[in-house]
Amino acid sequence: MAYAVEVNDVSKMFKLHHENVKSLKEKVLFFRRRGYEEFWALKDIDVKVSEGDTLGLIGANGSGKSTLLKCITKILYPTKGKIATNGSIAALLELGAGFQPDLTGRENVYLNASILGFSKKEVDKRFDDIVAFAELERFIDNHVRNYSSGMYVRLGFAVAINVDPDILIIDEVLAVGDEAFQRKCLDRINEIQNAGKTIIFVTHNVDVTQEICNRVIMLDQGNIVKEGTPKEVVPFYHKAMESHEESAERGDRRVTVTGAELLNGEGNPASEFSTGESMKIRVSYIVAEPVEDPVFGFSIDDYRGFTAYGTNTSLKGIDLGKVSGEGVVEFDLKALPMLEGRYSVSLSVHSRDEQTVYHWLDRYTTFDMYSQMNDIGLLYIPCEILVNP
Amino acid sequence: MIAKLKDLWQHRELQYNMVVKELKVKYKRSVLGFLWSFMNPLIMLVVFSIVFALIIPGELSWFVVFLMAGLLPWLFFVNSLMQAVGSIVNNPGLVKKVYFPREVLPLGAVGANLFHFCMQMLVFFVFLLAIRWHFSIYIVLFPFVLLLQVFFTTGLVLLISAANVYLRDVQHFVEVATMAWFWITPIVYPFGLVIAKFGKFWPIYLVNPMTDITLLWQYIIYNPYYYAPKGGVAYISFWGILGTSILSIALLVFGYYFFCRTERGFAEQI
Repeated sequence: MAYAVEVNDVSKMFKLHHENVKSLKEKVLFFRRRGYEEFWALKDIDVKVSEGDTLGLIGANGSGKSTLLKCITKILYPTKGKIATNGSIAALLELGAGFQPDLTGRENVYLNASILGFSKKEVDKRFDDIVAFAELERFIDNHVRNYSSGMYVRLGFAVAINVDPDILIIDEVLAVGDEAFQRKCLDRINEIQNAGKTIIFVTHNVDVTQEICNRVIMLDQGNIVKEGTPKEVVPFYHKAMESHEESAERGDRRVTVTGAELLNGEGNPASEFSTGESMKIRVSYIVAEPVEDPVFGFSIDDYRGFTAYGTNTSLKGIDLGKVSGEGVVEFDLKALPMLEGRYSVSLSVHSRDEQTVYHWLDRYTTFDMYSQMNDIGLLYIPCEILVNP
Repeated sequence: MIAKLKDLWQHRELQYNMVVKELKVKYKRSVLGFLWSFMNPLIMLVVFSIVFALIIPGELSWFVVFLMAGLLPWLFFVNSLMQAVGSIVNNPGLVKKVYFPREVLPLGAVGANLFHFCMQMLVFFVFLLAIRWHFSIYIVLFPFVLLLQVFFTTGLVLLISAANVYLRDVQHFVEVATMAWFWITPIVYPFGLVIAKFGKFWPIYLVNPMTDITLLWQYIIYNPYYYAPKGGVAYISFWGILGTSILSIALLVFGYYFFCRTERGFAEQI
C-alpha cells in the first residue's frame, strides 16, 4: 500500500529571539550577539500515513502537533529530515484563510478554493454543494464583511471540505458552528473516509478521535510518546494529562490537611473501586491555633472536570464548633454509582461564610472505577426491565 | 528553481485570482469604481496641460506629452514596488496558514499595477489620437519596452518583498529611495539638460536602469525628432538598451533565486 504522507526523521528548530531584532540598526549593533535560544518543536519524528488512513494527533498544548501539520503542508520547512506527500492536499489550519471582507461570498469561495489549490472548474462543479453545506443560499451574494462569525467559518469549512482533496488536513477547527453543523462536518468526514481519502487531524477533543480515527499518535514536547489505535492511546493520554496537572493547593493554612486516604469496604486503602462498592474518604488535619467552625468538604470529578458528587459538613448540617490540634474527618460514601472511568478527589477546608479558604487541595488523589456491568453512561442506576408480551 | 516555476505554473489560476482580487478590492465600495482607473490619467492630463502650457511654459513643445510618457511608466514602477514590498508581511493570515507559492503575493501587486498602467496608457493614447499626434515608427517597440520594465520591476519586487520579511527597514527605505530615484531619473526634465550640465560625466546617469527605460518610453511615444529636434530629449544607445536588458533579466533571475532561497522562513518570521 502506498503512503499518502511520509515523515522521515523530521526535526524542527525555532529560534526564540530574546528581543525581536528586526531593524538594521539593531542588526548592526548586535551583530555578534546570538540573540536566540534553540527550541526544538519536533524531534526526529517518523510517521507514515497510508492511503485511506485517518490519523489523529493529540497532545498537550505546545507538544508539536500544529508544527507537524504545518511541516506536512509545506508552510514550515523541517530543520532536519524529509517529508514526502502523495496527492493533492487541502489544509484547514484556519477557516476562511484569505477571505476578503469586501468581496461577496461567491467571489470568496472561488478565491479561497484557488488558495487551497483548486481550479475554477472543480469549484464550478461543486459550488451548489458548498453553498448548501454552509447553509448560506440566501447570503452567498452578500459581502463577507456582513457575515456573522458563524457564517464566516461555515463557509470556510464548506469550501475546504467540499473540494475533494486526496489528503485532508484539519487543525482544531472541527469545533465550529452549532451541534447540527458539527454533526454534518463529521458526516462529511465519514464520506471522505469512505471514498478512501487520507485525513490527518489535530484535536483536543479526544472523544472525536475515538469516533473517526483508525490511528492516533500522541505527541509530547516534540516526541511521539504513543502510537496505535484510539483504544490504546486515548486512556494513555488521559493518564498523562492528569499527571500534568499538578495538584494545586491554596489557602492560608489555619487548618492544614495533612493527608487523605481512600478506604474500601474492608477499610483498606485502595485506588480501585467497583460500581456499587462503598468508599470512605478519611481526611487528617492539623490546626495550629484554634479555629471557629471550619467546614470540611470534598468533590469527586471525572477527567473532564465534571463534578460527579461533592458535599461538605456545612451542607450536611454539621457544626464542628471550635477546632484545635489534630483530627480526622471521614466521609462515608455508601455506594459509588459511577461506571468505568478515572476520578479525582479534591478536598477543602474553609470558613462557614466561605470567605476564607484555609486549605484547598485540587485533585488531591485519584481512583479508578471498574464495573462488571456492560451498561453504558456515567452512572449506574438500578433498573429492572419488565416485558409484557 | 525550475520546480518552483512549475509550481507557480500550476497555481496560475491563483495568480490570476490574486490580481483580480487586488483590482476588485481597490474599487469596492466606491461609486465610480472602475472608472477611477481612467479618471486618474485624465485629470493628470488636464492639470499638466494647464500648468505647463499656461503657467510655466518650457522649451519643449507639448511638454505634457513628454511628461506623461515618462511619468505613467514611473508610476507603474513605483506603485508596484510600494504595494509589493509589504505584500508578504501584511498577509500573515495566508502565509502562516496556507501553502501556496508565496511569489503569488508580490507578483499579484505587479499584475494589478500593470493592469492599471495599461488602462492609463489607453486613456493617454486616446488623448494623443484626439490631438492628432504624430507618432514615430518606433511606437511598435511598445511591447518590448513594457516587457523590459516588467522584468526590471518584477526582479526588484521579488528581492525587496522577501528582504522585507527579514528586515522591516526595507519598506521604509523603499519609500525614501523611490522619492530620490524619481528626481535622478529624467522624467520631469529632458535628458538634454543632464548632458549640458554634467559635461563629459553624463554617462554616469545611465547607470540608473530607470533612466534608460524612461528614455525609451519618451523616445517611442514623444517622437522627439518631430516635436523637439533641438530639445535633446532623446538619448538612446544600442549599448545602453542592451545593458539595461541584460541587467533586467539578471535582476529577475537573481530576485527569484533570492526569493526562493528565503521563502522557507517566511511563515516563521512574520
